Amino acid sequence: MSSPLSSDHRPAGDDRAPASRAPQAAPSVPHRRGRDATRTAIRGVGQLLITLGIVVLLFVVYEVYVTDLFGSQKQAAATEAVDKVWASAEVSPADTVAVTDPNLLVTDPRQRTPQYETLSGEGFAKLYVPAFGSDYRFTVVEGTNSDDLYIGPGHYDGTQMPGQQGNFAVAGHRVSKGSPFNDLALLASCDAIVVETRDDWFVYRVLPMQEEVATWASTSHSHCVGIGVQTGAYEGVYGREITVPTDYAQVLPVPHVDSTAVPPDAQRVITLTTCNPQFSDRERMIIHGVLVQSYAKAPGFLPPELGES
Amino acid sequence: MYVWIWRRLPGPTALRVLQALGLFLAVVALLFFVVFPWLEPYLPFDRMSTG
Repeated sequence: MSSPLSSDHRPAGDDRAPASRAPQAAPSVPHRRGRDATRTAIRGVGQLLITLGIVVLLFVVYEVYVTDLFGSQKQAAATEAVDKVWASAEVSPADTVAVTDPNLLVTDPRQRTPQYETLSGEGFAKLYVPAFGSDYRFTVVEGTNSDDLYIGPGHYDGTQMPGQQGNFAVAGHRVSKGSPFNDLALLASCDAIVVETRDDWFVYRVLPMQEEVATWASTSHSHCVGIGVQTGAYEGVYGREITVPTDYAQVLPVPHVDSTAVPPDAQRVITLTTCNPQFSDRERMIIHGVLVQSYAKAPGFLPPELGES
Repeated sequence: MYVWIWRRLPGPTALRVLQALGLFLAVVALLFFVVFPWLEPYLPFDRMSTG
């Protein structure tokens, strides 16, 4: 803000200052009034422009920092709500035998159909990315309008549910509103993306990147078992893609194939979408992964993949 | 505008500075909690879904 005192401390060289005006003949009163009015008007416009500039800067601060606070509050409320729903759906611990051996809980995704309803703007799943740290978890809500995405990552209406054949597609903010997908650029191939639903854990892994395709055959990391360069209908689907905002085919059952039908031999794909580059919405960053493992939920059991880093 | 406000603030300079700071913070709070949330949906800054 400009100093309110400035009008009382004119620079010595200011020829309009009273001191320098003193030797001259006293100017006529109306003339002085006219000059004062002009000065006031110019000063007013100057202050207004400075004020508007500061308001614009404050808006940037609001977008980048303040909406994060609001977003994390909404996210916490959504997480609390979904925890409540899951707790009420759980069988009482007394009726179950505690099983914590992952091998005993492995399920066949073909046998698991979602037993839950989703409501727009309400959480139904949780997303974990162990590579981003053990504290990285977001409740995924249904829907991708701006209100939904303020709460957290949003599931594209009409795309498949976690674990199903086809494409479980989720959008999230890169910057602001809780910034859930800010770090998607740091995901590497074979990194785990773990989705928890009411009854299941689904472990997806990021597909090979385009630049890794040529040397993929020699990759021998234990995390990469079952992850290969995509062929057939899936040819050209990579772990990370940068595309245009209108590329809706990225979230269709077979990415890049312009059809909402799920072929009988469709894979179980996860797609994450966010803004690219950071602080811009000129392009979209797309992450594709495929399902490699699923577990039934059991009290006290966490998938071993959550411990990866 | 700011001179006008400054002249109408009562008390010695130190007190006026405090009041000016309070006014500034009140305006910032109004912007952050009322004006910007209302304005935001009309601005195309952060669309990140496809289609």
